[in-house]
Amino acid sequence: MIGPELADIKLLWPELVLVATALGLILSASRIRKGLRASTVTLVAGCASILVYRWPLAEGPRAGFENMIVVDGYSQFFKVLVSSALILIVLLSARRVETDNVRAGEYYALLLLASVGMMFAVSSTDLIPLYLGLELTTICSYILVGTTVEKRISNEAATKYFLLSAFTSALLLYGIALIYGMAGSTSFEAVASFLSDTEGENSKLILVAIGLIVAGLAFKIAAVPFHSWAPDAYEGASAPIAAFLATASKAAGLAVLGRICISAFAEEAHLLSLILATMATLSIIVGSVIALSQTNMKRLLAYSSISHAGYALLGLLPGTPEGVSATMTYVFVYVFMTLGAFGVVTALGRRGERIDGYEGLARQQPVTALLMLIFLLSLTGIPPTGGFIAKFGVILSALNAGYFALAVLAVACSVISAFVYLRVAVIMYMKAPQVEETSSYPLMVSTALLVSALVTVIGGILPGVLNFWEAVPQ
Amino acid sequence: MQEYIGIAVSFVLAGGIAGAMVFLASWLGEKKPSEAKLAPFECGETPFSLPGGKLAVKFYLTAILFVLFDIELVFLYPWAVIYRTLGLTGLVEMGIFLGILIAGFVYAWDNGALEWQ
Repeated sequence: MIGPELADIKLLWPELVLVATALGLILSASRIRKGLRASTVTLVAGCASILVYRWPLAEGPRAGFENMIVVDGYSQFFKVLVSSALILIVLLSARRVETDNVRAGEYYALLLLASVGMMFAVSSTDLIPLYLGLELTTICSYILVGTTVEKRISNEAATKYFLLSAFTSALLLYGIALIYGMAGSTSFEAVASFLSDTEGENSKLILVAIGLIVAGLAFKIAAVPFHSWAPDAYEGASAPIAAFLATASKAAGLAVLGRICISAFAEEAHLLSLILATMATLSIIVGSVIALSQTNMKRLLAYSSISHAGYALLGLLPGTPEGVSATMTYVFVYVFMTLGAFGVVTALGRRGERIDGYEGLARQQPVTALLMLIFLLSLTGIPPTGGFIAKFGVILSALNAGYFALAVLAVACSVISAFVYLRVAVIMYMKAPQVEETSSYPLMVSTALLVSALVTVIGGILPGVLNFWEAVPQ
Repeated sequence: MQEYIGIAVSFVLAGGIAGAMVFLASWLGEKKPSEAKLAPFECGETPFSLPGGKLAVKFYLTAILFVLFDIELVFLYPWAVIYRTLGLTGLVEMGIFLGILIAGFVYAWDNGALEWQ
């Protein structure tokens, strides 16, 4: 008879769709000549994985694979978010794959597998599958960062990313090993009950273990002091891949941190919130201040993503479901506005990489400039856009946790970052064009830009319409 | 400590026999040195070169393919020992695992990883 372990595979419908497509692409990689065909297949798979996200939830939240995987509203929220990011990135990659001479089959298969890793990680209620999922994602990402083989800067970025990421994966594993050594299990439930029974014993070892695990996860979301890889990796990678690292990968990292805070390490909430508050403070300050001096657009967006990681962490400080919910909203809006900004960089091609390239954009391509303005306003956190609602929620939850100084700091740094983002807007609208007009970009890229802009604006005007299905873990 | 005497004896015997063979070969053996024979043995690679020199990537490709099958064996062996108790579930799971692994191998073959060029 087929055992219950195998029947649990029904819980993983979205992942199965993506894995099957990735295997198909890998098997036919040498016969794929046209990038468009592979990207269409990937798009269909992405949409299918969104359509089936509810199937495993039919009978409410369920756990499977000996309680290692759980399917609940929280996991499915992030799975849909990862799938949406995947779809938009496939749309953005349309031209890059052709011009950069990248093998399409492998490129899309790796994107699919990286997304599967993230989905697996956000569903995990055990440290081992969590680690496996994150590793699948990062191993695919190393290759994706280095896909533009001819460019030296891309090779350098992939090497740096690989070395630093491998090192922090070791930290994460060491933390998991220490937890296993003390609790005798890696499941969140067992770890939580171990922590509530200890009553002050082993407190130093617990501090080290939690610190190591949080450090490993902080690397994935590029929070200071584990951020140094991000600007280099984003600059070297092609713009769609940089967007993938900045959005989907960061969303998955935050989802995992959120679940760990609220389930496994709930007993150590005070300690955890101290660590997270330190990282959030540093990320917000460093990200906003260093972004001031950037001349490369991808590096600017990298530092912006670092400060946004800090803001998203604010929601996790109180260790309550409301706080996690604020972080979920933040991540949702952040994914779309950042994808949009990277989308404009992609659409403008070589011109979009430097900030000078935006001079006079409003006169040459008014629609692109307007879309970029929407994303920049949202990244700053100015009211009619989703960025404001998101920032408001997380700062409120920092106040609820009693971090008044940190909330004031977050608002102050918003002002600094306003200068960073609005400088680009000024360059677009108030300078005379320096560069010749570039050719128009494919329909797929403009679709992605429009969808991101739509979500960013609707998220600001009618918050709660788009992320109605968000649910925090129990 | 009693039980370690046997191990110590086998250490001494193994070291003695191996050492004797090396010594006898270099004492009694005929020597016709040539440049190629005197070069350190390094699996077909040039043993010494300056850093920054080029490496043939094909050796590493073969090594990675070897790892693919090595890992397959690591999982197949314990499965083979208890496959009766695992029953049909185990068979199906192993089928999925092998299917994915073989897809990777087919990819490598299809894209010329096995051609020694």
